[in-house]
Amino acid sequence: MSKAMFFLPYSPWFTLVRRGAVGVQSIRHAHGSGDTACSQKMPPYTNYHAERNYPMPDEPFCSEPSPQQRALKEKEKGPWQQLTDAEKVALYRMQFHQTFAEMNRPSNEWKTVLGGVFFFFGFTGILICWQRLYVFPEKPITLSEDWKSKQLQRVLDMKGNPILGLASQWDYSRNDWKK
Amino acid sequence: MAPDNHHDRLPNFHDKYGTPILLSGATFCLAIWAYAATQIGIEWNLSLVGRVIPKDWRSQ
Repeated sequence: MSKAMFFLPYSPWFTLVRRGAVGVQSIRHAHGSGDTACSQKMPPYTNYHAERNYPMPDEPFCSEPSPQQRALKEKEKGPWQQLTDAEKVALYRMQFHQTFAEMNRPSNEWKTVLGGVFFFFGFTGILICWQRLYVFPEKPITLSEDWKSKQLQRVLDMKGNPILGLASQWDYSRNDWKK
Repeated sequence: MAPDNHHDRLPNFHDKYGTPILLSGATFCLAIWAYAATQIGIEWNLSLVGRVIPKDWRSQ
């Protein structure tokens, strides 16, 4: 099911669903001891959520343990020195979906997100182009290059804003803009 | 930024397609906006200082 999601176009819920579907992915990646992977119910039918700020969820990760896992749980009730290292890891994996290192691993999701943002921003540019061609009215004559040049000469003749403004940038002795 | 250290897990969508998506999106965006800003006649009304040469207006 995760494979089908690869071909979805970019959309905000896509990323959310992928995060929620991590539980499904874990079934395919049998990690750690190589025991049978947990039969994990798909969210939202499970109460288990691996979160950095909620380290001990109410329910264990494996909601439906296999017979071997149930036997292991029975053994866990005895002294823990009798558990082998592999069994301890298996018990951890039954209780928790991911270690903190796995949970906090960095990802490249920002590239997809930012790429999508740029794509839509570029699409907006296309809309602006269309708008310029089909919606904008005629450019007023006062904004033509010819008119602007003449208007500029008139303002300079009047010495408009001679202290800090437009005329202050003009060098009257050389008849050119100040360097 | 975030290093892609997924040597132990299978590469996910973002590992495989993240960089191409980012680069193509940025290129597309840049190209479109460069075209929109310069080629289609949008009046930005930039400052005349240093750009426009005044012309005689009285003789008409």
